[in-house]
Amino acid sequence: MKKRLAWFLLLGLSFALAQPKGGELRVAILAEPPVLDPTASTSQEIPRMLYDNVLQGLVKLNEKGEIVPALAERWQGSPSSLTWTFHLRRGVRFHNGAPFTAEDVVFKFNRARDPKSGHTHPEYYQDIQSVEAKDPYTVVFRLRQPNQDFLFNLARPDSVIGPKGRVEEQKTQPIGTGPFRFVAWERGVGVRLERFEGYYEPGLPYLDRVFFRFLPDPNAQLAALRAGDIQVIGLGVSPENALVLQRDPNFKVITGFTTTEITVGMNNSRPPFNDIRVRRAIQHAVDKKALVEGVMLGFGTPIGSHRSPGESCYEDLSGYYPYDPAKARALLQEAGYGPNNPLRFTFTLAAPYPYERRLGEAIAAQLSQIGVQARLEVVEWATWLSRVFRGADYQMTIIGHSEPHDIGIYANPNYYFRYDSPRFRDLYTRYLRTPDPKRACEIMKEMQRLLAQDAVNLWVMNAPYIAAMRKEVMGWWQNQPTPSLNVTRVYLNR
Amino acid sequence: MRSFLLRRVLLALATLWLASTLVFAFLLLLPGDPVQAILGLEASPAARQALERALGLDRPPWERYADWLTRTLRLDLGESIRYGKPVGELLGERIPLTLGLVFLGLGGALFLALPLALLALRFPLCDLALSGLMAFLQSVPTFFLGVVLLYALAVHLPLFPASGFPGFSHPWEALRHLSLPALTLTLSRAAILFRMARGSLLEVMGQDYIRTARAKGVPETWVLIKHALKPASLPLITVLGLEGGFLLTGAVVVEVVFALPGMGSLALTALEARDYPLLQGLVLVMAALIVLFNLLVDLLYGLLDPRVAYA
Repeated sequence: MKKRLAWFLLLGLSFALAQPKGGELRVAILAEPPVLDPTASTSQEIPRMLYDNVLQGLVKLNEKGEIVPALAERWQGSPSSLTWTFHLRRGVRFHNGAPFTAEDVVFKFNRARDPKSGHTHPEYYQDIQSVEAKDPYTVVFRLRQPNQDFLFNLARPDSVIGPKGRVEEQKTQPIGTGPFRFVAWERGVGVRLERFEGYYEPGLPYLDRVFFRFLPDPNAQLAALRAGDIQVIGLGVSPENALVLQRDPNFKVITGFTTTEITVGMNNSRPPFNDIRVRRAIQHAVDKKALVEGVMLGFGTPIGSHRSPGESCYEDLSGYYPYDPAKARALLQEAGYGPNNPLRFTFTLAAPYPYERRLGEAIAAQLSQIGVQARLEVVEWATWLSRVFRGADYQMTIIGHSEPHDIGIYANPNYYFRYDSPRFRDLYTRYLRTPDPKRACEIMKEMQRLLAQDAVNLWVMNAPYIAAMRKEVMGWWQNQPTPSLNVTRVYLNR
Repeated sequence: MRSFLLRRVLLALATLWLASTLVFAFLLLLPGDPVQAILGLEASPAARQALERALGLDRPPWERYADWLTRTLRLDLGESIRYGKPVGELLGERIPLTLGLVFLGLGGALFLALPLALLALRFPLCDLALSGLMAFLQSVPTFFLGVVLLYALAVHLPLFPASGFPGFSHPWEALRHLSLPALTLTLSRAAILFRMARGSLLEVMGQDYIRTARAKGVPETWVLIKHALKPASLPLITVLGLEGGFLLTGAVVVEVVFALPGMGSLALTALEARDYPLLQGLVLVMAALIVLFNLLVDLLYGLLDPRVAYA
């Protein structure tokens, strides 16, 4: 025991020597979220700033996208996968000084699974029958039926745990157990975090302060980075700007994977896309490699179904429909479209998303090569949400689906793609109820193949993760398996 | 004078009421609702309903309108849907910055335009160069001018901060942060003021009393400053009043380019989030400011030109 302690001290010391401590990091993010509680809004900006920086759950996702311990030290599932026992880390304190115990966990998940509580995603927790505190450091979850995604759902930003009984205040003054504590939300300006001295992992975090600044305009972001107002553009650097910054020795550009599938959504319940031949023709008519090279200047990976290469159980289907304009024309002819009767539809683009908008324009140009006339229509975000997303009042659209592990949306026939497949629903249920992870993985791959086969949507590419920063910023995550801009191990090499 | 003021105030109130009622009506016609904007893509229907009830959006529009009207009459602008804070408080945080920007921009434009116009009239060669330059400035879009200045004076020559605002508690820092945005507004507005000033100066210079002054042997520069400037500035005041309102909206663009947390960026966020109470409050305040500008101009007019009667 003593020997181990000595090792730990030595290790800690060497880390302390290697990583210069202190300093303030200023990071630009694109938008201001409506609240600061991921259980009150699904705005991705909330976890971007707060997940694992301020707020934590029982488990979390690491840089590789693996599920690792957070507030639970270890856990085990029963052979039937119906009972899960979590052993909590001891000596953890919330930022307000209150100790973290099993009671906080019970409160959190009883609230989360209650549809009336206003929690954003009660459906993630609906298989939980009961949550009990066996003792202050042991929590037992009993499930109604096995759920393959149970652990993954516990790693989502929606599963972060705050002090028991604190709900309303979390929206504007979040209190968590993470390495940083929330200091201030200056409306329209940014969010300030400060190193939490009582963090349970010794030596972490390295920074004293973090300031997330809301900079909605990409030009303003770039100027602020160059002028030294900020040190990091956390995400969404445009490919052109990335190339420019790459050549400048003062900056570095980090590229990696995200969980965002850029998806050309087709309304499967409406003409012309209720005809599978038309949907397949579209797949053959679009050259994804040319889009990556031409529009994204080489950033991005073509995909062929609704899953990202960085996620587990990924099946590469990017070549499922090879680029073949002749075949596309033939399929269209079969469906009754030709030079005298060209395929015409409206292609709705969401204004605030530059990648998607540019890709949409390029795709429309590629489609025109085979005589398809896509009328481009740009709508504002609130309009897109209500008309396309909620009302499914559209023919074709394009948007990035950034949620990780979200293939389940295809099991919902009312989702805006209006994809109604009993076979897919059956597969999805089987996937969820299969306790054996290997078998579940096979089913996950089968689901991806089925989506590709049915040509539900055109999956263009996995959106690249591009961040730019001053060269002294170290320890920034290469990939984005979670929405979080994790700054726990970031330091400034001065 | 008193009846004039009373009439103007009543007219102003009617304008404000009309503007905010129109905003309310237009917002109802726009697709999109605040609930989806807050909850995001994947929210469950149950969560939607709960929030709708909490925000009172399940009530019919006319009820919400009546509610808003009665509260506004009590000077209560309601609570922002997106920020969950009183609208008055949010506006209070943002107005000083935008007003500061507008006054700096306007002052700067006047400060630049008048001497240049005098210079142009005095020296014909200057006139040609200045008129060309001003025509160019007038044709450059504000956002482009902003970006150029940003790169020139914040990135390459780091004289000013590139973006953001530290708040008025550090006046010197605040002024430094406002300099570039204000300069952008100044340059884009100075062009119009310059042309206006030059035009009305030229007109005045043709008047009989100027010829008299010259005949008496008054030096040309003195003629310009002493005899021509005051009468020539009258039309300028009118333009200044109009420009005040224009700058208020022009500030929106500049606030975005320089990432300033003013009323313009607040209005954009409010529109995106379909934050009805906040947008109503913003429109009300902006309309009030524009009405106020015009009122001030009218009063100033009377002071500068005794011939104007308040009929």
